[in-house]
Amino acid sequence: MTTTAEEAAQALHEIALIRHRAAGFQDYQAESGQLLLWGLAYVVGFALTACFRDQLIPIWAGVVSLTTAIGTWLASRTGVDGGRVAWRYLAVIGTILLFCLALNIIFWPLTPEQGAMLAPMLLAALYILRGIQLRPRYLVIGLLLGGLCLGGYILLLPVFWPWMTLACGGTLIVSGLWLRAV
Amino acid sequence: MQTPDEIIHQPVRLKVMAALNTLDAGQWLEFVALRSIVEATDGNLGAHLTTLEAADYVLVKKDFAGRKPRTQVCLSTQGRTAFSRYVTTLQAILAPPNPDISGFDDNQ
Repeated sequence: MTTTAEEAAQALHEIALIRHRAAGFQDYQAESGQLLLWGLAYVVGFALTACFRDQLIPIWAGVVSLTTAIGTWLASRTGVDGGRVAWRYLAVIGTILLFCLALNIIFWPLTPEQGAMLAPMLLAALYILRGIQLRPRYLVIGLLLGGLCLGGYILLLPVFWPWMTLACGGTLIVSGLWLRAV
Repeated sequence: MQTPDEIIHQPVRLKVMAALNTLDAGQWLEFVALRSIVEATDGNLGAHLTTLEAADYVLVKKDFAGRKPRTQVCLSTQGRTAFSRYVTTLQAILAPPNPDISGFDDNQ
């Protein structure tokens, strides 16, 4: 049985669609692990900050270092070229940290609450951009994360740290579970 | 006229092969994940996987993840080659070699 040019074109179109869907699925799966990890890190970090406010720097230095180490290990396990993925992951985390450091220098002095808003807001913006360009679920995650964190900063400043535990850490964990359920 | 591989040239099996071909060699995909990518029912996907497995295009592995039974699927080397040949055939159907050009060369 011969295949017409239309059938061939349709089959190639189908292959392209499935390739795109499979790439999205793998992307969501890899991202879900990182969202769960960093969500848990934010829950621990904000909860400890709520309890020991004068220990803010050692708490976050410990949380970020430990989470980066686990995250790098997780990233290195994905795909064949794990080493390159791990370096790229470290570069991304390093860029986010440098961005937060730069804003701290530019706007110094910042209150602890203002300082704590930098990384979540940057993360929200990155997810919104990624959602617009690539995959719709990232847009939802970015909007939710940004909206909840900013809303808490504007309206719930007296309970800022417990709120951020839920708004930032909780949102990332729920988002990770959502991506895993694709 | 070239004919595409009849085993792959079926909507669900084409999707299965295309999805598995995106993975690195030796990388396995869980049945449930494959099902959601190709948007097929359990029974339908299972039947087409049996056909592909009989042709040695895919490998199917059944084990347990904790206490839950788990089925994983992977594209075999033969399957990867067959899929590559299939895509080449489709492209050849769409853009057959131009006889005018070879005729022109012959006249030179």
